[in-house]
Amino acid sequence: MQAAVLRGTQNGYDLVLKQSASLDQVLVDLKALLENLKVDPQTMDAKVSLDVLTEDRILTADEKTKIEQLVAGYPRFEIHKIAANVITLADAIQLRERENVHLLSKVIRNGQEVVMQGDVLFLGTIHEGGKLRTSGNIFSMGSVAGILQAGYPDDESKLIMGNLQTAQQVRIAEQFDIVEPAQLTDSRQTIAYVNDLHVLSYGKLEQLKKINPKLYNQIGGI
Amino acid sequence: MGKAIVITSGKGGVGKTTTSANIGTALALMGKRVCLMDLDIGLRNLDVVLGLDNRIIYDIVDVAEGRAKLPQALVKDKRFDDKLYLLPAAQNTDKTALQPEQVKEIVDELKPDYDYVLIDCPAGIEQGFMNAVAGADAAIVVTTPEISAVRDADRVVGLLEQHPLTEAPRLLINRIRRNMMQDGSMMDIDEITHHLGIELLGIIFDDDAVITTSNKGEPIVMQTDNPASQGYRNVARRLEGETVPLMKITEQEDTGFWHKVSGWFHRG
Repeated sequence: MQAAVLRGTQNGYDLVLKQSASLDQVLVDLKALLENLKVDPQTMDAKVSLDVLTEDRILTADEKTKIEQLVAGYPRFEIHKIAANVITLADAIQLRERENVHLLSKVIRNGQEVVMQGDVLFLGTIHEGGKLRTSGNIFSMGSVAGILQAGYPDDESKLIMGNLQTAQQVRIAEQFDIVEPAQLTDSRQTIAYVNDLHVLSYGKLEQLKKINPKLYNQIGGI
Repeated sequence: MGKAIVITSGKGGVGKTTTSANIGTALALMGKRVCLMDLDIGLRNLDVVLGLDNRIIYDIVDVAEGRAKLPQALVKDKRFDDKLYLLPAAQNTDKTALQPEQVKEIVDELKPDYDYVLIDCPAGIEQGFMNAVAGADAAIVVTTPEISAVRDADRVVGLLEQHPLTEAPRLLINRIRRNMMQDGSMMDIDEITHHLGIELLGIIFDDDAVITTSNKGEPIVMQTDNPASQGYRNVARRLEGETVPLMKITEQEDTGFWHKVSGWFHRG
């Protein structure tokens, strides 16, 4: 059985590298395959773009370079991407972190900074001088007297919801607002967001559809 | 085996040293063997508050660096019949002269011989703080009813939570002015305790006598009828596991003559 197989698809060509074969074998077979398909560069029309699929094998950076170098020797072909059916545990954890809503119930004290990934449902307390930072949205049901930052470092589409009246600062991506004492009402339905002019503004929960249609649709709006 | 308790606050000037001296003295008066350790290297003053400054021969840095044996450096307070000892801080070195491991070693050496080893922590949260916390089993966080002191206490509690000791830290609120607290112009005790979220070990009322006595090198707890003294003695009893109710803010004792006279008329 060939360890490197070329397959035509609707979108172009898949180059499948069998996981059952050793990588050395794959390289040998791939070379043979490419040799077979070698044409004179003069008569060549368009380049053939390959999606390299490694099945359930994850290639290291070195291994990827080897394959790229090999293919680079044949001007008819170019690699579009290298993909596997599997990801590393570390990537998987990161993915899960990013996609989930995380429950956080702790006291963030003066000088402490808690850094999270993804959306956070915050049930704890942030004291003055404490900071909660995440890459996603923050939904706060706790009491906040410190700083909340959503969409870290640069995602302005994220939101902060909850009672922000007592917070010191609200930050989304790189935008920030210093919350003045009488600025906000004592309401859990306050939403902080970045508007079209890249200014941090506040709204109410019922305006969510207007403020962030994408999130609204995602959580069950029509 | 004794217990090592660090007395810390983050902010300076809230009364760590006074608290260390007084809790130590109160415990000694209860018959416990106490060793006070001054870790405020370079700015030692626990010895002054205790009136032992003229008796220092060696200090903690001498012990850590092997120039003296631990018993040689300990200063005995003769007033308390072999119950109270002080391990003084060095004055001519800075806080980096000690390493946390050295402090831990000294504390561990002291613990078997004493019921309590009280560690007086320097202000700040740098090396000196780390040194003081290194050997401790428990912590007393001292604060005053002022926003800056409470903020710093919050920071320190956070740090203590990151490197947990055997026991959770407990809170001591110092320098409470009864009149200001009664009319609401000072932060409330419950408010502070609730905010910091740690157990309240005791409250100490502000009293002029604390300053006058410490100037004489005599801890306030030796005056039995003083309200601040009472507060410190209550703290010592609570450390011993007794249940002692908090002193009342409202009970402003007024024993003046006219107060008594008006008392007769109100009585009916």
